[in-house]
Amino acid sequence: MTVTPSPSMIEGSASKNGWTLFKESFQHFLASRLNRFSFGLTVCLLLLIVIAPFIAIYPYDEVNPALGLSPPSWAHPMGTDQAGRDVFSRVIYGARTSLSIGLVTVLFGLLTGVTIGAVSGYLGGWVDEIIMRIVEIFMSIPGIVIALALVSVLGPSLPSIVLALSIRRITQFARVARGSVLSVKSEDYVTACHAIGMSNLRIIFVHILPNCIGPIIVLASVLLGNVILTESTLSFLGMGIQEPTPSWGTMIAKGNEYLTFAPWISVFPGLFLFLTMIAFNLLGDGLRDHLDPRGGSVV
Amino acid sequence: MLTTVILRRLLFSFPTILGVATLAFLLGHMSPGDPAIAAMGLDLDGESMIDPDELARVREELGLNKPLIVQYLQWIGNALQGDFGTSYVSSTEVSEMVFEALPTTMLLLVLTMSTAIISGMALGIVSAVFRGRSMDYVARMIAIIGVSTPTFWFALVLMLTFAFAIPIFPMNGPVSEHGLIAMALPTLAIALHPAALIARMTRSSMLEVLSQDMIRTAAAKGLGKWRVFMVHGLRNAINPVITVIGFQFANLMGGAVAVEFIFSLPGLGSLLIEGIYEKDILLIQGAVLVIGVAFALSNLIVDLLYMVIDPRIRV
Repeated sequence: MTVTPSPSMIEGSASKNGWTLFKESFQHFLASRLNRFSFGLTVCLLLLIVIAPFIAIYPYDEVNPALGLSPPSWAHPMGTDQAGRDVFSRVIYGARTSLSIGLVTVLFGLLTGVTIGAVSGYLGGWVDEIIMRIVEIFMSIPGIVIALALVSVLGPSLPSIVLALSIRRITQFARVARGSVLSVKSEDYVTACHAIGMSNLRIIFVHILPNCIGPIIVLASVLLGNVILTESTLSFLGMGIQEPTPSWGTMIAKGNEYLTFAPWISVFPGLFLFLTMIAFNLLGDGLRDHLDPRGGSVV
Repeated sequence: MLTTVILRRLLFSFPTILGVATLAFLLGHMSPGDPAIAAMGLDLDGESMIDPDELARVREELGLNKPLIVQYLQWIGNALQGDFGTSYVSSTEVSEMVFEALPTTMLLLVLTMSTAIISGMALGIVSAVFRGRSMDYVARMIAIIGVSTPTFWFALVLMLTFAFAIPIFPMNGPVSEHGLIAMALPTLAIALHPAALIARMTRSSMLEVLSQDMIRTAAAKGLGKWRVFMVHGLRNAINPVITVIGFQFANLMGGAVAVEFIFSLPGLGSLLIEGIYEKDILLIQGAVLVIGVAFALSNLIVDLLYMVIDPRIRV
């Protein structure tokens, strides 16, 4: 978190600076073996976004009908699909698709949702009432239903998929940010900010939000898994990423037709999806215990 | 006193339901393509061949030439009377299709919910009672695997294993064809995720209560071990668990969409997907509306249940 120098002495009372505190906290987090495991797995998966072209043995769309539906071998470690495309390469590129959609969606949801929630909680009154009503409306429709309906209306393009996936995350971030803001809003240091005549925006973004960051980080890590799952469900139902772009959901759906005699086509992407979910869920658990030990926020 | 609180809560759920309806209406309005052309049974490609007078007549007939706000009020008015319009694609009343699909989904959700609550709470209690021992470890492993398993993938794996490789259960098809057994695999597939969440919440909530002094007092009084756990422990740990259960309805319906589709169960989820594939906007609107209202109502029930169980909330 960046703390801009300010004329007041309010934020400068700690003897250690932010970076040292962060480093200590991070070392403490990595002291647990389970946290090391989930953090390592997450980093590896995120690395795939960048290094996919170097790991994948074949281009994801290289068709080779002669090799169609061949079982796993040295040349094709996860076998080939009906068009003779290498399943391993497609799974690796699929990680890139799923994870980058997940990251962009969560980032977009975080920025928008936290801003809305923080303003709502800080201002209170009728603004808060209206915003929270709207949030509640979106909370009462399942995420996949909103996403399916929106994609069917907007067409299955990348921006519309990201938008469809973010809407529910925005409301989830807004709720958590609002709750955190409400809990620190009446602290003495906020009153002090008012007293020296700071603007509302400055109080919210510089003084309140950095103190609410814990639950928001926890939510982000949990939602990352969640978004990836929704995206693959969407793709599985044919309303997400479209062929030939590889996506785990689409691969599972396609492989479903050959499930009984070529199970590798859908088993391997499913396994990767499962691993990704494990990594993000464990990371979320670890972060929650670490940053927000009393918070029971359930998503 | 309690009645006022309940009445107020009822009043509060009204704007939410209205909001869901507005959302469903806007969804239909946002969709590309002209509903009048769809109603005439033509593709968008055939647009140039359309007789403008005929188009104007159909627009008039469907009320599409009126201002948006009038269309909105009419739509809400009709929806309130259970009339969601007639599908342009299948020429059937949308309400008829929706209410035909509703029982399947409701049965599925009730079965799933009970399975998830019973197995999830049992797992959570075992985990908390045997904290730190191998039983706890196994239960927590099951819970984390359950939370991380994609529902649609699990449904496929169940189908491959218990309907294809070992044919105990039917591959797919409605209850009317196979009887209740048709619900077995879909129920298991959807229940795994909420059961795992319920187990985790039961465990952490139980552990928090079990560390309190009153538990030691109860044990010191000479009460039996399980009596202390179930009566003093669980009774005080139940509130957060109910909250999680309340959240699960949205989760379950989300799972039901894909699972109904995989097992060809003729429920709301299959209907929604059918609407999406066929670009049947009225059907999508109707399904979204009914699902949304069902949730608003289930949230209401959970809140009311909460008031009955925890007197502090009534204030």
